[in-house]
Amino acid sequence: MIDTTKNTRMYTTFGTKSATLLKIGVAAKLISKAKRPLLIVGAGILGDELLKRALSLGRLGIPIAATGDSLKGFAQTDVEAAYVNLHSLAQFMADQNWTGLDGTSSYDLAIFLAHRKYYVNQVLSGFKNFIPVRTMAIDRHYIQNADMSFGNLHAEDHLHALDELIESIEIARRE
Amino acid sequence: MLKAGNFTVAELENVHITIGTIVNALESTTGSAEERTKSKIPASKNAGPTPMPGISALRNWDFKLLERYPPIYTPTEDMCTMCTFGPCNLTGNIEGACGINMATHQAKLFLQSCLLGASAHSAHGRHLLHHLIEKYGRDHPIDVGPSNLKTPNIQTVTGIKPETLGDLESVMDYVEEQITTLLATLHTGQEGAAIGFESKALHAGMIDHVGMEVSDVAQMSCYPMPKAEADTPLVDVGIGSIDTSKPVVICIGHNVAAVTYIMDYMDKHDLFDKIEIAGLCCTALDMTRYHSKADRNAKIVGTIAKELKFIRSGIPDVIVVDEQCVRADILREAEKLGMPVISTNEKIMYDLLDRSGDDVEDILRDLKEGKEPGVVLFDFDKVGELVPRLALAISPARREKGLTALPDDETFKTLVSSCTLCGACSLACPTNLPIEDAMKSAASGDIVPFESIHDLCIGCGRCEFACPKDIPILNVIDKAAQNVIKEEYGKVRVGRGQVSDPEIRAEGVNLVLGTTPGIIAMVGCSNYPDGTKDLYTIAEEMLRRNYIVVTSGCNAMDIGMHKDENGQTLYERFSPRFEKGGFLNVGSCVSNSHITGAAIKVAAIFAGRNITGNYEEIADYVLNRVGAVGIAWGAYSQKAASIGTGCNRLGVPVIVGPHGGKYRRALIGRPYDTDKWTVLDARNGETMPIPPVPEFMITTAETVGEVLPMLAKNCIRPSDNSMGRMIKLTHYIELCEKYLGKMPDDWHIFIRSEADLPLAKREPLLRILEKEHGWEIDWKKKKIIKGPLTKVDVSAQPTNVPRLCKEATK
Repeated sequence: MIDTTKNTRMYTTFGTKSATLLKIGVAAKLISKAKRPLLIVGAGILGDELLKRALSLGRLGIPIAATGDSLKGFAQTDVEAAYVNLHSLAQFMADQNWTGLDGTSSYDLAIFLAHRKYYVNQVLSGFKNFIPVRTMAIDRHYIQNADMSFGNLHAEDHLHALDELIESIEIARRE
Repeated sequence: MLKAGNFTVAELENVHITIGTIVNALESTTGSAEERTKSKIPASKNAGPTPMPGISALRNWDFKLLERYPPIYTPTEDMCTMCTFGPCNLTGNIEGACGINMATHQAKLFLQSCLLGASAHSAHGRHLLHHLIEKYGRDHPIDVGPSNLKTPNIQTVTGIKPETLGDLESVMDYVEEQITTLLATLHTGQEGAAIGFESKALHAGMIDHVGMEVSDVAQMSCYPMPKAEADTPLVDVGIGSIDTSKPVVICIGHNVAAVTYIMDYMDKHDLFDKIEIAGLCCTALDMTRYHSKADRNAKIVGTIAKELKFIRSGIPDVIVVDEQCVRADILREAEKLGMPVISTNEKIMYDLLDRSGDDVEDILRDLKEGKEPGVVLFDFDKVGELVPRLALAISPARREKGLTALPDDETFKTLVSSCTLCGACSLACPTNLPIEDAMKSAASGDIVPFESIHDLCIGCGRCEFACPKDIPILNVIDKAAQNVIKEEYGKVRVGRGQVSDPEIRAEGVNLVLGTTPGIIAMVGCSNYPDGTKDLYTIAEEMLRRNYIVVTSGCNAMDIGMHKDENGQTLYERFSPRFEKGGFLNVGSCVSNSHITGAAIKVAAIFAGRNITGNYEEIADYVLNRVGAVGIAWGAYSQKAASIGTGCNRLGVPVIVGPHGGKYRRALIGRPYDTDKWTVLDARNGETMPIPPVPEFMITTAETVGEVLPMLAKNCIRPSDNSMGRMIKLTHYIELCEKYLGKMPDDWHIFIRSEADLPLAKREPLLRILEKEHGWEIDWKKKKIIKGPLTKVDVSAQPTNVPRLCKEATK
């Protein structure tokens, strides 16, 4: 398996609490055990390779929030995604009465993929301080303000890591 | 003794005598600020309830806004380090040693940003005012063009209707008192609730627009700047427009006062064809406003993002700095390349000697001989003479030496080959540009990746400090992009100043009914997520859809850098008038007050509202009826925070780019919380539901593809008539389809009747309403029978202020 916990060089040092390093097995377990996870994908998803992985995660039944203009990646596919502004999503999640993007129930795990690092990290500081939802970054960058994050990965390793994650979730589901 | 003020003569009914500024220069030092200011307020029966509001006077309005648009905080650091009780770790919203929690601390820091912004503009205004009064006198009339409403922000906030420069002093007295009082609340142990700081931040933002208006109105009244003129000339922008065969003077900052003396001297001595004079940042824009004769004009190099790059190129011979948005390393960088720096403003003096009392010949000699890296010079007559003469004197030798920081071809190859691809540069880069990949390509002879990095690079130089091999990365990028840089030139329409009363009179009805779909105000700085082209894309898309696009400051420059296939900029393609599809440059950073000013004018001129000292009512009007959205796509500065916040208090929503999350707080509504989306109908005080727009007061967006539909949607207002709503919805739906690949999920909540439906899609949309949303449709008449949450009623008077309802006034 790709070691996703090697490189933790920080984007900047400004805090006392930084993300726990996330191994693929742990990520798979947490995702499959979550009552209602939400995969939040950013504009960086557009392009074949990452989008393919996001679609696979969607096909595993994980609801998808498409931020930025990432929704257009899902337009002609069999996977449903709902547009939402990333900053607004944080505002909604901070509200205990919010019933989710589909109006059914709130989420207990927020998984972030393919955002601008400085942007998602900033929104995640809102989560870290004020929003009682567990957060996980499965991007190719170490996202300090998430509760858990992959380390900094090369683009190719990142794709492999996502493949392994998808496979591990499938296995965990079967178990 | 006679004093300025309003007097009633006893026993003579209806006779009032107003005595304005009658005393000499001492007036500004006699009497209290309040006394002096009150004397400028027109007859009190015409004034609204809050002339010169103190920091608590508009709190109820703020709370109304904040209830619908609650703050969301995104701290940039976990610690508070403001006093010696701490540092305190506030992670998880816990309390620090003084009792403050994370939310309140963030609100406090946001207020701090707004105060920095407001004080920068206001101190700029005070400086200009001192200078202009000294030169033109207190009685110099305010002249902003063909308008009765000359100072909409000042009048709405303070109740003062300034007629002369001297009158503006009273306004500044008020502004400074508010800033000082607000600043005091930042001290440890003062305000203790986040919402308390939020209301104060909104106050600071409002005050900022007053300070900006003072600055710009003062300079427009005295200088030969365009006064609400539409067809202003086009001027050159971009490094590629600079004629490097001539000596080059570059003026950096925001305050044009000193630079006007240089331009006057050059004019008088016929030096415009011998010296190239250009500016960086807003001083550049005001230089072109000051002197826009076709053959004797200043040029615009660009934004703060170009400061370091332009200096490193070695092209400038002399640098003149004033204030705001001047990089802190200018002197160090300039000294390395033998460029003397002339500081003309107390705010930026470095460690330079103040030579204001010395003879120009002596200063000229010392700078020529390189005895000092620069001087402080507050005598503007001397600045005017020294700078052109110095440029002429040192340029030939500088050119001969070929002074530049850029590497030659051989050194370039060595530098890129020495890169170990460690990635420290990309990590340090504020926009995370893939610098190491470009290094790798360059080492094998392909410089194209560096050329594309060049436009995305904000020119900060942080990569160089991160590089363990000490590669001067910025120089490498610039060297690689030389061919691109040479082609960097465009056109900017000279800043027009205000939108005039007649223009508002003609266009106001279209804006309030929605038949002009909205005003998009593109303002702010150069911290873009994806380079400058995004601005062009946004402006062009909205202009083609007949929105009015208003720009200013650094945005006005960068939009002008891009052209269509015929080589034309947007300034050349679209009407410069305040009308559907018009594209207006109001001017520099302080000219942003004219954008809020235009919204106030709509309330005053179109709706006949009394604006004098009547802020809440006017903001309420703007929030419910003026479909305007501000966008600061590259906002970096504290000034952008205060400008945006001033827009917010007036009811104008603002979107910032993805870097804007670092402002630490946004005000975002929750559209699903229907209780929050109601207003009162002023005709009878009844509550009526409204669609959830604007959805936010300030928020961020990730990409241009996201921001375009957001702009269209947030121009929708409760007051739209059916034609207006249909037009706005058509754009919202089309932009979603174009940029998000799909119809929006929420279009139906904006439908009040079939007449709101986009014409071309009426039938299929009715079908969706019936099928997916359960609405009842009369298919014979193609009418909606049941379903809409809101109804069309163009004579409704939406308001958020109970006292404005008829029932309340009885």
